[in-house]
Amino acid sequence: MIEVRDLSKTFRVHRKQPGLVNSIKSLFHREWVNNTALDSVSLSIGKGEIVGLVGANGAGKTTLVKILSGIIHPDGGTVRVMGENPWERKNSFRKNIALIMGQKAQRWWDLPAADSFLLLREIYGIPKDEFSKRLNRLTETLDITSKMDIQLRRLSLGERMKMELIAALLHNPQVVFLDEPTIGLDITSQRAIRQFIADYRQEHEPAMILTSHYMEDIETLCKRIIIIREGKIVYDGPLADVVEKHTPGKIITATLSECSLTEGFSIPSELGTIISTDNCRITVQVPRPKLTSATSYVMEHLSISDLSIEEPDISTIIESIMRGHHE
Amino acid sequence: MIRYIRLYLYFLQFSFSRAMEFRFDFFFRIVMDLVYYGINIGFYLILFSHTTTLGGWNQSQMLVFVAGFLVVDAINMTVFANNLWVLPDFINKGELDYYLLRPVSSLFILSLRDFAANSFVNLIAAFGLLIYALVQYEGTLSVGGVILFILLLVVGAILRYLLRMCFLIPTFWLHAGRGFDMVFFQLNRFIERPHRIFTGVMRVLLTSVLPFSVMASFPASLLIDGFSWTIFAQFIAVTVGFSLFVAWFWKKGIRAYSSASS
Repeated sequence: MIEVRDLSKTFRVHRKQPGLVNSIKSLFHREWVNNTALDSVSLSIGKGEIVGLVGANGAGKTTLVKILSGIIHPDGGTVRVMGENPWERKNSFRKNIALIMGQKAQRWWDLPAADSFLLLREIYGIPKDEFSKRLNRLTETLDITSKMDIQLRRLSLGERMKMELIAALLHNPQVVFLDEPTIGLDITSQRAIRQFIADYRQEHEPAMILTSHYMEDIETLCKRIIIIREGKIVYDGPLADVVEKHTPGKIITATLSECSLTEGFSIPSELGTIISTDNCRITVQVPRPKLTSATSYVMEHLSISDLSIEEPDISTIIESIMRGHHE
Repeated sequence: MIRYIRLYLYFLQFSFSRAMEFRFDFFFRIVMDLVYYGINIGFYLILFSHTTTLGGWNQSQMLVFVAGFLVVDAINMTVFANNLWVLPDFINKGELDYYLLRPVSSLFILSLRDFAANSFVNLIAAFGLLIYALVQYEGTLSVGGVILFILLLVVGAILRYLLRMCFLIPTFWLHAGRGFDMVFFQLNRFIERPHRIFTGVMRVLLTSVLPFSVMASFPASLLIDGFSWTIFAQFIAVTVGFSLFVAWFWKKGIRAYSSASS
């Protein structure tokens, strides 16, 4: 459904030193800086696949999503979404995509949601009975039927987001881009929207790209993630493999029965490395295959009152990849 | 085409139901526009207390022309003005994103989505004045001539919209607030004067690249001075030319927008 090859995009921004004098200077002479937003990005996403797009602020997530939906014109590379060039913005293309931006609400009229949906029916040419069937289904799953006749500006943030989702999905798009759909929402609304996206995906199988700063969104919805840093893809693969590929192993933490025992303790390098020792506690990082032997080694050589084996936290790992601490 | 008409009916419906909410604005607009009409009519009444003809037109003929450009103005205030007023802000703040996503012409939605239901009463008032001007007219008028006059005024209103777009679309590159729009409103005063009072370069300008004289003065001339193929052909040529130019210019603007927004 989505094929991207060597995509790049550079923005030209003009730089100005602060202050009035420099403002006047910049009237006559401008200093331009090239900002690379995307640097030869390639990826491919199939039907029914939902991919989590993760990256720090300014990494290029939104630029990528906007290029794929035809809003931004790229500088180089090829993009095919459903076989079409997004930036040609053909009606056949636009009728089959949806973009939801959590940070940017749609500016429709100051009207109840029900009216805006009628307008969308007209814009997308959705047959009447098909429209009411879909609308009922969407409002019921999102549990928002009672709010349909209230003006959009009087709704809460969570309710408005639900309306945005309905507005974006009424025309049954085959490709859906969700740019931070849960931003600023409380836990309950986040959960409701997450559940809704999961159900929707199950039922309609669109190709989906989800960007979010909340790892929970990504962890519950996406089997595959793409991590993007400074415009480059640094990881593209199963979410489950991130941990294996990017962490040396598991963490064993042993609490000792007698504090002084840590002195002089060492572990053979093939079994693991000691990360930290304080008086009563010792933390060892162990390669996955050596877990059993390392654990028994620790238990044999130390007198232990407590022992724990942990998987490094997935969001910590992703975050460190995002920031470039893992190479 | 039918889809676009139906969409427009929705725009109308929404605009009316929203306008009812703001009563003060509703009455304020009516008063404001009626004052504008009064000033324009008064201006010519004073002129005609000193002279009997102006650019070849007497007082009763002049009233037809004045009513004509007030109709052009009222159509613009009602149909386009609200939309065009916010357009520079939309462009500068990157608000066009969602409009570009819809499978409908972005120029269509952005130019027509907000019908100024508040100004609707003024549109009726302007047409009322036009009817009065035609009734009081001292010469003879043919039915066909009157119908053509009104049709051309509507097209004149569209031409005024197209010309204003030419002053707004540069915002895509300049990102300046509304500098050019102010220039347009200064120039817009030329619509209030009959084209025959201008000569030389000025007249060429006002009937070609800045076609303010084409919008209301040409239709009035065709009615009052009799039908002329040259004036009619120039009217059509300028309108078609501007339509094509704005369509092309808008496309360029959107392209610039999409290379710049992030």
